[in-house]
Amino acid sequence: MGAYIVSGAVVKVDRHFERGYRDLAYDVVKECPDCLDVDYVVISSALPELTAHQVDLSTHIAQWLGRRVPVVRVESGETSGLAAVDLAASLVSSGRNRRVLVLGLEKVTDYPTYVTNYFYSLILDYEFEVLRSVSPPAYAALVMKELMRGGVKRECFSSWAVKMHENATSIPHAMLRFKISYDSFKDSQVLAEPLTLHDSFALGDGAAALVVSSSPNTNASSVEIVFSATEVGLPAYLRENISDLTASVKLLKLSLERYGLDLKKVITELHDSYTPYPIAILRSLGYLDGGCDLNEFEYLNTSGGLKARGHPIGATGVYQAYEVFKLLTDRLGSKTASTDYGLVHSMSGPDNVSRVLILKR
Amino acid sequence: MKLSPSQFWRIRESQYRLIITECGSCGRKSVFKRSVCPFCGSSNVKHVESEGFGKVLDVTKVMYRWNSSDERPPLLVGVVELDEGVRVVGEIVGVGDNEEVKEGTRVEAVLRRYASDDPYGVIYYGIKFKPIKTA
Ligand SMILES: [Zn+2]
Repeated sequence: MGAYIVSGAVVKVDRHFERGYRDLAYDVVKECPDCLDVDYVVISSALPELTAHQVDLSTHIAQWLGRRVPVVRVESGETSGLAAVDLAASLVSSGRNRRVLVLGLEKVTDYPTYVTNYFYSLILDYEFEVLRSVSPPAYAALVMKELMRGGVKRECFSSWAVKMHENATSIPHAMLRFKISYDSFKDSQVLAEPLTLHDSFALGDGAAALVVSSSPNTNASSVEIVFSATEVGLPAYLRENISDLTASVKLLKLSLERYGLDLKKVITELHDSYTPYPIAILRSLGYLDGGCDLNEFEYLNTSGGLKARGHPIGATGVYQAYEVFKLLTDRLGSKTASTDYGLVHSMSGPDNVSRVLILKR
Repeated sequence: MKLSPSQFWRIRESQYRLIITECGSCGRKSVFKRSVCPFCGSSNVKHVESEGFGKVLDVTKVMYRWNSSDERPPLLVGVVELDEGVRVVGEIVGVGDNEEVKEGTRVEAVLRRYASDDPYGVIYYGIKFKPIKTA
């Protein structure tokens, strides 16, 4: 018995001022008629207690959708979405459930940005990092500085953002569907030197749905979940080198070796909350050795990534998995792919935890 | 009230003092008073107090506002290596207009305000770092 993604839908990542958690849940399942033909629901969401004063979100969503099937919520910071897919895969491959709906939901635009920034910062250790004024962009800036000391040029990080914006122009559900230029970095707001707003993800509300089933569709429109794994890293301040994202690198290396894959050829969605992170990971894996040519990668963050598709925190992993599923079985926006494998990577904070999913057509 | 006096009271030793956890199994040291070594998981640990001196390994000037406290940007956040060979992350304060904090700058631990509720509420204090003035 295996685990297959057989169906899915997403709403555009955006500032949905008129939509709350329940509205976003309704919007996405409306686009996916067989998404409610399930015997279990796993909701992934990171911040509802903080942004919507809601405990037990999953039960209230099930009641609102008029589907009183068993439901549970998964939360693991920025990796909540992939954690939910991982749980759904276990439920069906163990034989306990037949079809599980994974529903990624996040509502983050109801407050001034500095308030949401604070909620988001709580993915770090509140007592030992956040109280000490340490925030996610501060770590990203320190990673960036260390990479630059190691010879990576500023333009390399900028080129990631430029590429992501370019990719997002052909993705209907992306939040930022416009190109940016290298010049725009000069005027971009500094978050934490040398990291700018252009090096940061786009924060938006989102909802994404996937059906994980114990059997494939009879037609070709399903993919198998062949690998799903998690690795917990060390707190960033305890590391020998802060830019060594060892949990992510270990998992990616393991999965590439096991399936004989090359990131230059395979569909890949990397977690790029801040531009230094994918650059650090690709370099640790042996890519970008002689420079920073992202065009060497055929299907790298086709969606535009967290940078431009956007980052609805606890829902993002479900978006990523949906995007790879669509590329493998059909098309994503105007993009198609001729390869059999797709890889999804998610991490929370500076590699506090990392998750990798491999899908096969 | 968003701050809890009892939450902070529980972690007072790690916030008011620089406690180092030394592992009797793997020999590695980590900051904060811990029951378990974060490197190897052993609970064969003992605690010693740092002298409070060290050097900046790296620092970033944080320019954006990310909380509602009265800490307004810019602020300096860095990784400090204590003379005991242990790393800790935190804010660097008391830097004069003409001073520069960079890799290698010597710092000492000082007790400063971390957060507060409102003008009449709870105030948390804890360790930050200050450059050591050289003549
Ligand atoms: Zn140990």
